[in-house]
Amino acid sequence: MDHRSALERILRAIALTAIVVFFMFPIFWIVLMSLQTNETILRSPPSMSFVPTLKNYAAIISGELDSNAGTMSIHFMNNLLNSILLSVFSVALALLLGVPAAYAFARHKFRGSEDIAFTLLSFRFAPPLLVLLPLTLYFQALGLANTYLGLVWVYQLICLPLILWIVRGYFEDISPDIEHAYRIAGHGWFATFRKIALPLAGPGIAAAGLLAFIFAWNNFVFALVLASADKQPVTVGALAFVTASGIQYGQIAAAIVMSIAPTLLLALWAQRYLVEGLSLGAVKG
Amino acid sequence: MSRIELKKLVKRFKDTAVLSGIDLDVPEGSTLVLFGPSGAGKTVLLRCIAGAVEQDGGEVLIGGEDVTDVLPEHRGIGMAFQNFALFPHMDAFDNIASPLTACGRTADQIRAGVDTVAKLLKIDHVLSHTPKALSNGQKQRTALARALVSRPKVLLLDDPLRNVDAKLRFEMRLELPRLLADQGATVIYVTQDYREAMALGDRIAVLDGGRIIQNGTPEEIYRRPATINIAKLFGDPTINLLDVVPQSDASGVYASLSDRRIQLDPGLSGTVGRECVLGLRPEALSFTDADEGVPVTIEAETPFNEKTVTLVTTLRKREILVSRPAEMPAPTSGMAHITIDPSDAVLFDRQTGVRLDPNGTSHAAEKAA
Amino acid sequence: MSDVLLDLQQIDKIYNETSHHPVRAVKDLNLSVTQGEIVALLGSSGCGKTSTLRMIAGFEAVSSGEILIKGRPIHKLAPARRNVAMAFEGYSLYPPLTVEENIAFALKSERLSKDEIRKKVAEIAHLLEIEDILDRYPGSISGGQQQRASLARALIRNADLHLLDEPMGQLEPQLRALLRGRLKHFIKERGLTAILVTHDQTEANALADRIAVMEGGVLQQFDSPLHLKDRPANLFTGTFIGEPPMNVFPAQAETDGDDLKLNLADGVCLTYPASAFSDDLKARLLASDAFVIGVRPHAVKITAGGHPARVYANQWLGDQTHIAARFAGQTIVSVRHDRAHHAPGETIGIDVAAHDLHIFAADSGRAFSHGGALA
Repeated sequence: MDHRSALERILRAIALTAIVVFFMFPIFWIVLMSLQTNETILRSPPSMSFVPTLKNYAAIISGELDSNAGTMSIHFMNNLLNSILLSVFSVALALLLGVPAAYAFARHKFRGSEDIAFTLLSFRFAPPLLVLLPLTLYFQALGLANTYLGLVWVYQLICLPLILWIVRGYFEDISPDIEHAYRIAGHGWFATFRKIALPLAGPGIAAAGLLAFIFAWNNFVFALVLASADKQPVTVGALAFVTASGIQYGQIAAAIVMSIAPTLLLALWAQRYLVEGLSLGAVKG
Repeated sequence: MSRIELKKLVKRFKDTAVLSGIDLDVPEGSTLVLFGPSGAGKTVLLRCIAGAVEQDGGEVLIGGEDVTDVLPEHRGIGMAFQNFALFPHMDAFDNIASPLTACGRTADQIRAGVDTVAKLLKIDHVLSHTPKALSNGQKQRTALARALVSRPKVLLLDDPLRNVDAKLRFEMRLELPRLLADQGATVIYVTQDYREAMALGDRIAVLDGGRIIQNGTPEEIYRRPATINIAKLFGDPTINLLDVVPQSDASGVYASLSDRRIQLDPGLSGTVGRECVLGLRPEALSFTDADEGVPVTIEAETPFNEKTVTLVTTLRKREILVSRPAEMPAPTSGMAHITIDPSDAVLFDRQTGVRLDPNGTSHAAEKAA
Repeated sequence: MSDVLLDLQQIDKIYNETSHHPVRAVKDLNLSVTQGEIVALLGSSGCGKTSTLRMIAGFEAVSSGEILIKGRPIHKLAPARRNVAMAFEGYSLYPPLTVEENIAFALKSERLSKDEIRKKVAEIAHLLEIEDILDRYPGSISGGQQQRASLARALIRNADLHLLDEPMGQLEPQLRALLRGRLKHFIKERGLTAILVTHDQTEANALADRIAVMEGGVLQQFDSPLHLKDRPANLFTGTFIGEPPMNVFPAQAETDGDDLKLNLADGVCLTYPASAFSDDLKARLLASDAFVIGVRPHAVKITAGGHPARVYANQWLGDQTHIAARFAGQTIVSVRHDRAHHAPGETIGIDVAAHDLHIFAADSGRAFSHGGALA
């Protein structure tokens, strides 16, 4: 359908470009910054012309941070590894627990099922700091403070409700008739869950998993309070760049680029699963 | 061993009863058509038998055994759904094979089983397609093949022809009885199309408002409908319904129409003086040269599927439809006379809508109650 | 003609035109609709009927060709400026408004008093049997009710043209039959012009003055219901129109003395006096190696002396009986208006009169003849 005039089309294109530039500019600027030294970044007026350098990346990877005051050692690569470990295990656990739970909530309406589902969601309402204080005390008493296990557990507060509520919607969208048909064909409920419900909700599970991963990756306060230096993810580790002798913009930029890279790659890879249609034309209409 | 019996089956959703006490007996190897308007509870009833929905009361017996506590996968049922319910991520072969994979057949047995039923239903050339790539007719046949492939003794078919085009629906209607007879299965077939019901059913159970209001052969349902509503559901164009009060004299019982008599069955003498509704099927009425017929004015004539339907009005402007084969000559305008055989006229109580039976009171209604 | 209301001229619709797999949904469509006429676009799904309707409404752009209403090209106008009303197959009611407000919404631009609006809504609600749900919201009514509300909203408008997309698809058969008559009466009484899209030929026959049969994006025939049945232009229309569908058999012709013989498969041979066919037709039949004969089920007679055929289904439907039998390697269906008993397995005699034959070219499917004379 095209009733628009040429002018309208041009204006639309301009507006779209403006929006894209607006959102992409910070990322673009950070990539540029990561390739410059602190001096070229801070010159006034700012200029787009500079000699690109990989010094910042080298410093981050080797853990030798150059500053005006001299070199200091940081653990950025360790932080990155922590982020990956924490996010991957948190999402894996949340999927393991959340997907079957979502299926149960979608298919079996029992007394109080809505209340339980809502309670799980309500974890997201409370300000994290409020939860953290008592949690720290418990964790210390249990010996869970500053362990990966403890952190992965706390991360379920972020991942589980997200996965539960998104995946539940996808399960509800599958026609119950399709599952009934498989049951009547002679398969048990678990086979039906595995062979019918899981594949059909696949795109939804992928989307929920990706979102949960991003949320886990970006978490700051839980790790700040509950983890010491060797367990901290990049979000907390980045604090190290704020040194007494100034802020190392170039190195921060390089660290940012390296820390958004995993989520970005994951999102690009998962995209083909996300766009896959849900129903694929099984049911008429 | 595969007789289906339902005893006082009850199903409620929240506080509303969808099925309120269904009693049904389908003898082994026969086909029962479950007919009724949408929302009558047909699909729910089928699901209770299949075990996809749990009943709130009553029993489902298959082959004499109560299956209430038997899981759907162990009931040995084949089912076809109105919306086909094919597995979208599997090709047609895997869809059809799904009942066979469940019972641990070898790959060769599965292939042989699927090929046989696919050939029978003429879908052997599309077995590698996913449901998305199948036409509506092919989807319907795939769904049917999936229901038939394990040769189940009980087949539940939920309006399987509803979503296919008229031509295929007609062809399938002709083929299905033979197909079902070859299977030797006990069949419950749900439909909203009265023609399908009459063509396929050994018996028809009419379901309305969660109750079976009549259970009979197609002939009984068509010629002796238990209620006005059933009479209206069967037949196209629908039955003519005229308010009458039967009278009697030495010559017998009759109803008056345009000051002429429509002779009624003598057994209906008990209805004299009662407020009734006279049901006259359009095709049972015919034009006559004789003056004793009911005088009518011809208003309009419409061709309708090789039939000609004439709208006529009586002296008191009551509308009546008369239908006849298109090739049969008849007056097309002005005044004419129509007549009907007494055995083709049915009489209903105006208050209750229940048919009045010549051989007693309201026999059919009692049976349904 | 001066009273042509809508004119479609060489309309093409191509989807994904710029991609590697363009789909031609409508091909070179020419169609004119006169003022006050009801036209049905009839065909199975994917035949291009809905695309055509959406192009007239303005929800799809034409790929090429012109659409004129009252001689004025409108295919470049926005939908709102075409003065065309449309009832949708899917429900398109505004959820926050009641059914009554939904219907009245269509009258917004007509500057009527509140009383007038109320009266008009009440009238159309009565017509479509939705009076009792006027104060309900679309979310709380059934699919069939939503569809009737959508239909009411389209019909109440004072538009040049009313487009109805499967207006009764969701309704129960009994209600559908009742509303068909009322709908036709309503449209005719007000002199409205309507285009109806349907896949149901009973509906098309009951409502339309003329029916455009479409298949594969191509208009097959545009004619009155009676002509479509008696004089189908090609094999597609012949087998598509009519319930049950026409029986068709491949055949060849030869002369034998004063007789014309039509040889079907399995050694079945229909013999007719040569005088039953016009000379032109005879010449044409004898000249072509193969053609297809069609005979409507109502014209297939069962007689003791007919060609033997084995019955495989006998279905009584109350007012008629459908008998299916194996004949000339295929299924032949006979319809009788009485109650016939031919048990499966029984052999019956089949007879077809020359004047009931439709003959089509085997390759193009074009009709040669209806009855004994050339088409």
